Amino acid sequence: MEMFIQTLVAGILIGGVYALIGLGMTLIMGVMRIINLAHGQLMMVAMYITFVFYEFLGLDPYYCLLIAPPALFLLGAAIQKYLLDPLLKIDSIIPQNQILMTVGIGMVLTETIRFIFHSDYKSVKTSYSSATFMIGSISWNVPMLVAFGLAVLITAGLFFFLLKTDTGKSVRATAQNKDAAMILGINAEWITQLTYGLGAAMAAAGGTLLLPIYYLFPDVGGPFTLKAFIITVLGGMGSTVGAIFGGLVLGVAESLGATYISMALKDAVGMVIFVLVLVFLPGGLKALTKV
Amino acid sequence: MKKYFGCVLILTLALFVLVPSVALCQGSIKVGIILPATGEKAKFGEIEKKSFEMALEEINAAGGINGKKLEFLYEDDTGRPDVARSAAEKLLTKDEVVMLGGGYGSSETFAIAGVAQQNRVPFLVNTGSDNKITEMKWDYVFRLNQPVSAYPEALESFMTDVVKPQSVAILYENTNFGSSGSKEFQQSCEKLKLKVVMNEGYQSGGVDFKPLLVQVKQRNPDVVYMISYLMDASLLMKQSMELKLSPKIFVGGGAGFTLPEFVQNADKAANMVYSATLWYQTLPYPGAKEYYDKFVARNNMPTEYHGAEAYSSAYVIADALKRAKSSAPDDVRESLTKTDMMTVFGPVKFVAYDKMTNQNKLPTYLVQWIDGKLELVWPKETAAKPYVYPIDWQKVWK
Repeated sequence: MEMFIQTLVAGILIGGVYALIGLGMTLIMGVMRIINLAHGQLMMVAMYITFVFYEFLGLDPYYCLLIAPPALFLLGAAIQKYLLDPLLKIDSIIPQNQILMTVGIGMVLTETIRFIFHSDYKSVKTSYSSATFMIGSISWNVPMLVAFGLAVLITAGLFFFLLKTDTGKSVRATAQNKDAAMILGINAEWITQLTYGLGAAMAAAGGTLLLPIYYLFPDVGGPFTLKAFIITVLGGMGSTVGAIFGGLVLGVAESLGATYISMALKDAVGMVIFVLVLVFLPGGLKALTKV
Repeated sequence: MKKYFGCVLILTLALFVLVPSVALCQGSIKVGIILPATGEKAKFGEIEKKSFEMALEEINAAGGINGKKLEFLYEDDTGRPDVARSAAEKLLTKDEVVMLGGGYGSSETFAIAGVAQQNRVPFLVNTGSDNKITEMKWDYVFRLNQPVSAYPEALESFMTDVVKPQSVAILYENTNFGSSGSKEFQQSCEKLKLKVVMNEGYQSGGVDFKPLLVQVKQRNPDVVYMISYLMDASLLMKQSMELKLSPKIFVGGGAGFTLPEFVQNADKAANMVYSATLWYQTLPYPGAKEYYDKFVARNNMPTEYHGAEAYSSAYVIADALKRAKSSAPDDVRESLTKTDMMTVFGPVKFVAYDKMTNQNKLPTYLVQWIDGKLELVWPKETAAKPYVYPIDWQKVWK
């Protein structure tokens, strides 16, 4: 029983961080209808920015939450404006062109970082890196708990933005029907840039929170792009609430799979869920509700 | 016909320019070295490449191969077997190397060995340790380093003489290195009448090993033996510390556990952890300490058994090429079989034993991380520092 609770706890905590990364991708998918395959790489860039501030200025990674996400927001908006938007203007456009462009962007980001920092593993050591406290016999990892808490806060902030502010409502309107939004006077081009930047910022936040727990190397982005994609599909493409549940479900499923099936098949659990969702519930979790 | 004449003329002229320039390069002897320069195992590839480079400089300064320059062509296998295979094929067909060297990860080494054997070109393995690599009766594949089944030899005598445990848990990364190493260790434990309470594989690159470690904690073994590359080793020890695991000893199976980066990343979670190792700089092999000191001075970072393997391998390659009747692959292979020399890694002579062929036979040792430094602690005769046992983990991890 204790093993089950420990596993559940670990799964939920990491699920919170996964959800954050997935949220970014689902936002982009909702508004632009493309899968941002550079998502993990954007997260990786944010992690390197956090690392640089830690290494050279001694800044605690959590403070970098005020630096890395805004930086990635600007980077994301710039990528959208200068690299992705021009593709829209070319005639034979199928959204697939933009997806391919994101693949290329991901590769460029990875190799540029590799060129600057080499393939060395980097890690951040803080006083609380391995801090744990025990409740009964369940060990709670402090950085993961903090990451979960901050992820919840950031998600709440995002929801407030989307539901209560004008810009947020414009984003949702553009996601629902781009042409109608344009007719109503919303500057769709600017909104797409904002959304890509926002998605990148979410990924950045996830990365910054993940750095004290994990380690850093140029290729760290790939598996997380995949996880974000699974979460997006699981939650329903474009559904932010779905992404949250998707992230938690994936985290818990991976954790339970690792403990009760086999640690070696941990990633396979995510893949199996992915296939099952596509076969039995194509709309994702969103299809189960009206949200 | 007339309009093609110009084309044909240009191409023929180009050929006449290319052929002499290729001939001009004939002065050097080319050997292909395949290592992970990028990816998960890049750190190991870096130590080995730097060691190869150091040795190459020395060999060429001393006259090269009977007056001809020795050249190493490095290819990156990125830590993946399919890329290793392509790298080997490229070196053999495009660069026409006389033999191959390197081979870090066991899965990658196995792939390269297959290609080498198929093309009948010799391959000197210096790190890939899966026993299978030299159990295939491939006469073109030679191995300098000990097979993974030999890694825990020193650990076994340490357990029998000092620790006297009842139970063992084995955790391993699930590519060739970990899978074969765990199987071999399980067999050794059974021979020593130790109960193997857990033998679980995991996918490397994971964030959270708690599901695995919680099970280890529940079964409470006396010895926890882990076979991992670098970052998994650090995370495993950090998370074991978080879960307050307390076996009698933690032992790593070489690889990630002996790199300086292990203690840099795991910090106090690395303290008092033992590991199998294949070499140490205080061993009585001529040149061992000099190699260590020169490497540290030159590269500003410590080296360990992987670097020594690469350094010695360069010398074995040079020696074999010097004695070979020609640079044809079969003559080089013939010359390798007759190798009988001393290197900083130890004596090198390729023999057949157990189920293996063309395998060099050497003992292994046990090291322990004591206060941030890797010390050779067992066997007693060669130990540089006394081992620390028993270990009060509460005190170590405070």
